[in-house]
Amino acid sequence: MEFAAVVIIFINILLAVNLAVGTTPIMVWWERRVSGFMQGRSGPNRAHIGGIRLGGLVQSVADMIKLAFKEDFIPAFIKHKMFFIMAPVIMFICSFLTVGVIPFADRLVIDGVTYTMQALPIDLGILWFLAFAGLSVYGIVLGGYASTSKFGILSSIRAIAQVISYEASMGLAIISMLIVYGSVNLSDIAEYQGGLLFGFIPAWGIIMQPLAALIFIVAAFAETNRAPFDLAEGESELVAGYHTEYSAMRFGLFQVSEFAAMSAASALIVTMFFGGYQVPWLNTQALQENINIVLFAMMIILPATIYFFTQWIKKNNTWVDENDPRAKESKILIKIFKGIAIAVVVILALLLLFGLGTNGTNIATAMIQVSTFLLKFFLINFFFVWIRWTLLRFRYDQLQLLGWKVLLPLALLNIVITATYVLVLGA
Amino acid sequence: MGIKTVKRHGDTLRDKLYIPAIVSGMKTTMRHFVTNIKDNSNLITKSYPEVQPTDITDRYRGVHRLTKREDDSISCVACYMCATACPADCMFIEATERTDGVDEKMPAVFNIDLLECVFCGYCVEACPCDAIRMDTGIFSFVADQRKDFILSKEALLANTRSKDFSDD
Repeated sequence: MEFAAVVIIFINILLAVNLAVGTTPIMVWWERRVSGFMQGRSGPNRAHIGGIRLGGLVQSVADMIKLAFKEDFIPAFIKHKMFFIMAPVIMFICSFLTVGVIPFADRLVIDGVTYTMQALPIDLGILWFLAFAGLSVYGIVLGGYASTSKFGILSSIRAIAQVISYEASMGLAIISMLIVYGSVNLSDIAEYQGGLLFGFIPAWGIIMQPLAALIFIVAAFAETNRAPFDLAEGESELVAGYHTEYSAMRFGLFQVSEFAAMSAASALIVTMFFGGYQVPWLNTQALQENINIVLFAMMIILPATIYFFTQWIKKNNTWVDENDPRAKESKILIKIFKGIAIAVVVILALLLLFGLGTNGTNIATAMIQVSTFLLKFFLINFFFVWIRWTLLRFRYDQLQLLGWKVLLPLALLNIVITATYVLVLGA
Repeated sequence: MGIKTVKRHGDTLRDKLYIPAIVSGMKTTMRHFVTNIKDNSNLITKSYPEVQPTDITDRYRGVHRLTKREDDSISCVACYMCATACPADCMFIEATERTDGVDEKMPAVFNIDLLECVFCGYCVEACPCDAIRMDTGIFSFVADQRKDFILSKEALLANTRSKDFSDD
């Protein structure tokens, strides 16, 4: 294999793994701090390594280390030990594999050879997501069943009924999207969204199909067992639902797979409805043609962003006690960020001075697109967290009512309208 | 007169759509988020061990103290009123004769077990000499061993009225 191919495949796999698993501590951190800020409190901000707190991110690392080193305890009354052990693993693998088909950038051409920027080189795309999203509920069901506990089994029943209800509307919402895009391959879908609607609006899925986007996002919340649809672990009734009997890293695996499923859902929502890796009004070709202008714009925007961020750090990242190592954190962080800003400016200036060449242009475009994708991805993840701390949990009958009586007819109606429109106008 | 029909909520199309209500709720949470992240000093909570509360009222019942007379000797006459009134039986007093001529009796031992105490303030009410008070404003006490929670007469005499409280 070519050296370039190895590097690209490695980078893709690294990206997919990090999006699925590596984001978990970040998501836990966001969940706790964002919820804190929304409720007028601060959230975890004390744990530190040598004074470095990173706004509380160190707390997530500490929690993970704690989970990993806890005693792996299986209660004596559990008869199906193998199912009990397998359940979190199944859930984890299913959530984890979903991210593999997400394109992180447009097809990359290096020395005339084309590489797809996704971790798994398969064309199944959206079908792969549907398959594994449906399969991951087996983890919950097995876990609840093998727990030999009423909380677990009730939670499993709820989870499976919920997934059946919402998978239907989700599939139908996807069908209307497929009518628009004409392909199941997510690379094609993202490429399609690089175009413009009426010449000035980016042809993103959410603009072409707002109803399908709404249905898909609601169903994705239900599929990933996130609030307001997290009835499977409704702590007011079921203690912790399917993971009541789990402890240590087995519980941690459930937690990681919950966040991996959330990440997968956000990655798919980005790819299907928010233009994937596309920068609005700048599709791949436009990016490659105007790469110098884009780099110059980045040279101004990035240091400016970092400047405002350091101002924010100076103002907010403080510690009352002067002698505490945590009081010195802001200075260190500001120095690091200033260093990053200078490095970025120097690298971009060198690139602009010496020119990029064809391969360089392609790689720079891919990097910009990956960053765009990550930005959108984190914004959608923030949306997940935001929704969770705003909406209350649905009552079970309301959940089923919403699924069958509202979302399903709406999805069917949307298909009919879309199909008629496409047939009549031949567009 | 007649039957008054109360209009039920949730019947309008706006309510049934859910979306406007969800959007207004999300606006509220986002407003809180933005104000707090822009300036962390807007947070309602304090960074507790470093920042101590300043809003403890004068009526707050904190850890006890034994008051002193004008000549700096102990006010307590070891009458056992407080120990009798105590519902938690957390006061252990041993009386002794007072030889300095100020009074006839004083406590040789005056122990309060803070782990037993329920901070009801009955001892303060029962005291005929205004010798015990709970106006130190101390709300947090920590120790490594159980015996460290038993405050002796010396410790109780060393406690003073909280500086945040207004003067008598």
